[in-house]
Amino acid sequence: MLKEVARPRFRSAFLAATAAFLFCAALSRAQSGSPISSASPVYQDITDETGRTVRVPQPVTRIVSLAPSLTETVYALGLQDHLVGDTEFCDYPADARKKTKVGGGINPSLELIANLHPDIVLVTKAFNRLETVQSLENLGISSYATDPHTVEEIISSSKKLSNVLGAPEAGATVAGEMKRRLADLHRRIGALPPKRVLFVVWTQPLISVGKHTFIADALRLAGAASIVDSEQDWPQVSLEEVARLQPDLLVFAESHSDSASLAVEALATLPGWSIVEAVSKRRVAVISDAVNRPAPRIVSAIEDLAKQLHPDAFTEKPESNKEKIEKENPPPNHRPAAHSSFWPGNLQARMAIPGGCACAR
Amino acid sequence: MRPLTLRRLLLQCFVLTAILFVVVVVALKFGAVPVSLYALGRDLLRFLLGQSSQISTDYGFIIWSIRGPRILLGIIVGASLSVAGTSFQALLRNPLADPYVLGVSSGASVGAVLALIATPFLSLSPALSALLTPLGAFLGAAATIAVVYFLGRRDGQIDSTTLLLGGVITGSFLSAIITFLMGTVTTGNTRGMVFWLMGNLSTSFQKSVYWFLGIGFLAAAGAIYTTASDLNLLLAGEKEAMHLGVDVPRVRLVVYIAASFLTGLAVSVSGSIGYVGLIVPHLMRLIFGSDHRTLLPTAAIGGAIAVVFADTLARTVVAPSELAVGAVTAVVGAPLFIYLLRRRLA
Repeated sequence: MLKEVARPRFRSAFLAATAAFLFCAALSRAQSGSPISSASPVYQDITDETGRTVRVPQPVTRIVSLAPSLTETVYALGLQDHLVGDTEFCDYPADARKKTKVGGGINPSLELIANLHPDIVLVTKAFNRLETVQSLENLGISSYATDPHTVEEIISSSKKLSNVLGAPEAGATVAGEMKRRLADLHRRIGALPPKRVLFVVWTQPLISVGKHTFIADALRLAGAASIVDSEQDWPQVSLEEVARLQPDLLVFAESHSDSASLAVEALATLPGWSIVEAVSKRRVAVISDAVNRPAPRIVSAIEDLAKQLHPDAFTEKPESNKEKIEKENPPPNHRPAAHSSFWPGNLQARMAIPGGCACAR
Repeated sequence: MRPLTLRRLLLQCFVLTAILFVVVVVALKFGAVPVSLYALGRDLLRFLLGQSSQISTDYGFIIWSIRGPRILLGIIVGASLSVAGTSFQALLRNPLADPYVLGVSSGASVGAVLALIATPFLSLSPALSALLTPLGAFLGAAATIAVVYFLGRRDGQIDSTTLLLGGVITGSFLSAIITFLMGTVTTGNTRGMVFWLMGNLSTSFQKSVYWFLGIGFLAAAGAIYTTASDLNLLLAGEKEAMHLGVDVPRVRLVVYIAASFLTGLAVSVSGSIGYVGLIVPHLMRLIFGSDHRTLLPTAAIGGAIAVVFADTLARTVVAPSELAVGAVTAVVGAPLFIYLLRRRLA
């Protein structure tokens, strides 16, 4: 019986082996082609923020962004015409919705990215997966990763990105503008004792931010201190812990699906939550979800939160008046034209409505 | 059992390979970027005529460098899981055995994750580091199946219900360990949690990885195939097989190591894709009978068909985003598992 089957066994094994090897051989031949039909053969070796050395074609004219924050940064640098693709979550500015979508940040479609023939794909360590970067690398597509953990690093990261993308002047302007506004804020509230807050990322279960996130740093700059002191980036916090620490305020970021005020009302009706005074007394600050994105716009969210937390620091000088003074005497590194294009109606609109939400949508 | 002839086995394999070819063409055609059937047909013809150099670079890159390797990965992973499932079913004499149901895939995932965490601390050459993940997955798979095997024994015999329960519980325990590791370990790559818990094929690898997978599969599946007729006799019972001259401990060891290796191989590149090793062998048994000499090759090709087809769905249903192929196989596989379980109990 064993002898009988010896032949079919080996024949089928050979058959399978030959078929598999043919397929492999065909692929290895077909894979040798390059996806980038770039006219210029000039490359620049750049070290990205995760320490990888990336070979980027020069000049960069086709950009794919795999994170909403990077899409915003590209727009802030005035390079939107070079942005050929972004993710389904890229919704700011409104024009970013019209770009070709390559899927989500976690599960983008590699073939859609390849089909756009990008010079560079922008990723961020916190939002994208390493597998995506490795896959792109195997396909011969350059990717550049950012990894900011503080607001200071968001500024330097934007500046570095502007060099990579060939727009260093715009980067210097954006960085200067961010620094100027943060310095201005610091003059007003730097001496005030920080408010103790709970930043709510998610309510069920309760998720907050850890101390090594740029959000925690943004809170510090806005004159707030997160009551959560965690090494983890997105710690799940127990209600008991919140009740023990009794934050002065809850801070929510405006989300797409749910209005934050509804979320607070829902929270207040849950058993046990009334023990948190900030909930029972509805002491809540709602800011733009720009605070969730490591992009230049985060400064607007910081300013907005600072105004809600320390309103007294902003009353001695009427806002409209201050804006007028600034327009008449622009600071040295501040160009009025750039101001209006980088911060489209954002600052001005909010100043017109005191205490209004910085929600840009 | 009808006598096996070379002619029939070749015919069966040929028919299945033809179906696999059709599924591969469908998988090459559909995706987030539209590719016309004409362009694909023209390129396939040129490819078969050995004129690959003339293939247009426009679609060429997407078809040959993105979809092609992914389909190849699907073929190897599907065949590996299906052969592993068939082997576990014979080894444990339980038709409901499957790498996923028995927790072996989760064990392989834990091994792979541990290897990923350890890699940065060991200063190894890149080639050795790349081998560490499949090695970890293999060790995880081998350790898990050993644990499940001993959990499933009662009075020296394998008890079917205890075995399955032991496997399911072990799997859920190991999934919890992965979640724990992902939540606490901050070094290395911890973003891919979903990848390990719910398998997918979206990662593209270096060329050498495909060669490693292909050769590894052929070696392990070949080793299992050398025991095919012994496995037929084992179905009657271990003592009976021993009396008929089967070297039971040797067969068990070969199948145990090779099937664990196949599971580790599949898991190290695709995470846990469930139910393929259960459904495909069952289907093949219904169509071609339970002779392992036909069952093993037909299950291999059938597994390839199933995974490539499921992955095509995963790529296209919510395009431009992607589903995990493990979700697709679970949606189809879990109800079929329940059906088979009910029929067995009835």
